[in-house]
Amino acid sequence: MDVFLQTLVAGVLKGGLYALIGIGMTLIMGVMGIINLAHGQLMMVAMYITYVLHLAGVDPYISLFVAMPGLFLIGCLIQHYLLNPLLKVETILPENQVLMTVGIGMVLTEVVRFIFKSDYKSVSTGYSNATFFLGDISFSVALVISFFIAIAFTVAMFFFLIKTDIGRSIRATAQDKDAAVLMGVNTGRITIVTFGLGSALVAAAGSLLAPVFYVFPDIGGPFTARAFIITILGGLGSTVGAIFGGVTLGLAESFGATYISMDYENIIGMTIFVLVLLFLPGGFKRLTKV
Amino acid sequence: MALGRKSTFIFLALVLSLLLVNAATAANIKVGIVLPLTGEQAKFGEIEKRSFQMAAEEINAKGGVKGNKLELLFEDDTGKPDVGRSAVEKLISQEKVPVLTGGYSSSVTAAITAVAQQFKVPFLVTTGSADDVTEKKYDYVFRINPPASEYPASVVTFLQDVAKPKTAVILYENSLFGQSSSKSFEEDCKKMGIKVLTKEGYNKGAVDFKPMLTKVKAQNPDLVYMVSYVMDAALLMRQAKELNFNPKVYIGGGAGFTLPEFQKNAGPAAEFVYSATLWVETVPYPGAMEYFKKYRAKYKEDTEYHGAEAYASLYVVADALKRAKSITPKDVRDALVSTDMMTAFGPVKFVSYGKKTQQNKLPTFMVQWQKGSLETVWPKEVAKKKYVFPVPEWNKRK
Repeated sequence: MDVFLQTLVAGVLKGGLYALIGIGMTLIMGVMGIINLAHGQLMMVAMYITYVLHLAGVDPYISLFVAMPGLFLIGCLIQHYLLNPLLKVETILPENQVLMTVGIGMVLTEVVRFIFKSDYKSVSTGYSNATFFLGDISFSVALVISFFIAIAFTVAMFFFLIKTDIGRSIRATAQDKDAAVLMGVNTGRITIVTFGLGSALVAAAGSLLAPVFYVFPDIGGPFTARAFIITILGGLGSTVGAIFGGVTLGLAESFGATYISMDYENIIGMTIFVLVLLFLPGGFKRLTKV
Repeated sequence: MALGRKSTFIFLALVLSLLLVNAATAANIKVGIVLPLTGEQAKFGEIEKRSFQMAAEEINAKGGVKGNKLELLFEDDTGKPDVGRSAVEKLISQEKVPVLTGGYSSSVTAAITAVAQQFKVPFLVTTGSADDVTEKKYDYVFRINPPASEYPASVVTFLQDVAKPKTAVILYENSLFGQSSSKSFEEDCKKMGIKVLTKEGYNKGAVDFKPMLTKVKAQNPDLVYMVSYVMDAALLMRQAKELNFNPKVYIGGGAGFTLPEFQKNAGPAAEFVYSATLWVETVPYPGAMEYFKKYRAKYKEDTEYHGAEAYASLYVVADALKRAKSITPKDVRDALVSTDMMTAFGPVKFVSYGKKTQQNKLPTFMVQWQKGSLETVWPKEVAKKKYVFPVPEWNKRK
């Protein structure tokens, strides 16, 4: 029973972080209809910001408030100067914005490698290794905190989209771009804000992950893949779906590792991905309708 | 017309400079070295490259090889077998190197050995440690590094004499090196009568090892043996501590557990963890400590066994070049066969045994993290500090 509960806890806590990584991608996907394949790399940049601030003695939870605006800005610049211009160019490939994000991801990785070298860096804090026990079940303090911050951000995001003007404009653009333009929404600006927001959210995930993981230029790729799976799981453009998607993936990986083998961690994620595409093409969004 | 004269002049200048370059390098002996200089393994590539350069400077300062200077030609394999393959083809066909060395990851090294054998250019493998690298009956391939299956040789005697575990769990990175090491350690366990409860692989770069650790914790093993790269190693230990998982002893099978980054990331979770290693600066080989100190003075960073291997490799190559009848791949290969010398990495002699050919045999050592520094604790003859055993439980430590 302990093994089962510990696995459950590990899966849910990891899932919270995954949700935060996935939600930015799902937002961008919903509004622009493109998969941002530089998502994990943007998170990696945020982790390096956290690392640099850590060297200066700043706690990762404080550097959250530097990394998020920083990545918001980077995201806006990418959308404005690199992705939006591509809309005006006629090409044989309809998805050239997606290809562009692949390139951006590579450039980010290599620029960071150029500055910081291929060295493993750690952001070790007092609570990196701290735990508390409920019965025999161990909880990592850092992961519990990051889980609640992730939930808070997701809920905030949800209300932002439902209640505010910009949020409504974002949803309008996501639902029907042409109609949104006719209703007076500046969709060009909305795409820029959306990419910025998506980047800021993944930056939050990066700052939260840094103390429990490590920092390295190449860690972006696997997280881009996970964010992609979560986006498909949750349903494109659904914030609530992203939470379900993240937790589902976290649980699947954990239970797979405990009851099958950790060797198959990636296979399990991909299997769910294929199953959802086959049997629930709209993701969890089809079930929850949000 | 003026243009014509100008271009003729430029052409002549180019030809002249090419001739000059050729004249300057004519007396040099080229040594081809393939290493991961960019990509995920670049850290080790850098340590090895610097050590090769240090060795070359020393050899050349002492007059080189028969008065000729060694010229190192580095190629980047980026950690990928296909890139390594084309890099070594370039070294052989364009640069016409008479001898090759380097080779970090096992999969890249395996790709390079095939090319070296095909073109009949001797290749002294510096690191690539999967067993089968020297099991293909390639007569142009030599290896200075012991095969992965022999890394735990010192661990075996330690377990028999000191720890005496009854049950074990083996966790390994799912790579050529990890599979090869874990398989041979499983066989060692069988020979010692230790029951292996679980042997499980994982993908490099995983975030959460807790489910796997929870499962093996429930089996209550005496020994946890891990073959892991540096950051996976740190996460494994941190999360084992978080779960308060207390086997009698944690042992790392080389690779990541001896690096300073491991201790930095794992922090207190690194304490008392044992690891097998091939080389520490305190080994009783002439030149080992000097190499370590020189490296630190020159690059303001610490080196470790990979660097020592690279440093020793070039000395072995230089020694073979000195003894070779002529500087052709065939003669250099023949000279390498009869190598019998002492290096900072230990005695080097290429022998054939079991399935292996032209393989160097070396004893291994055990180290333990004590108060944040790595101490050699086994075998007793070279130990600088007494090993700490039994290890206190996580939640009973201060």
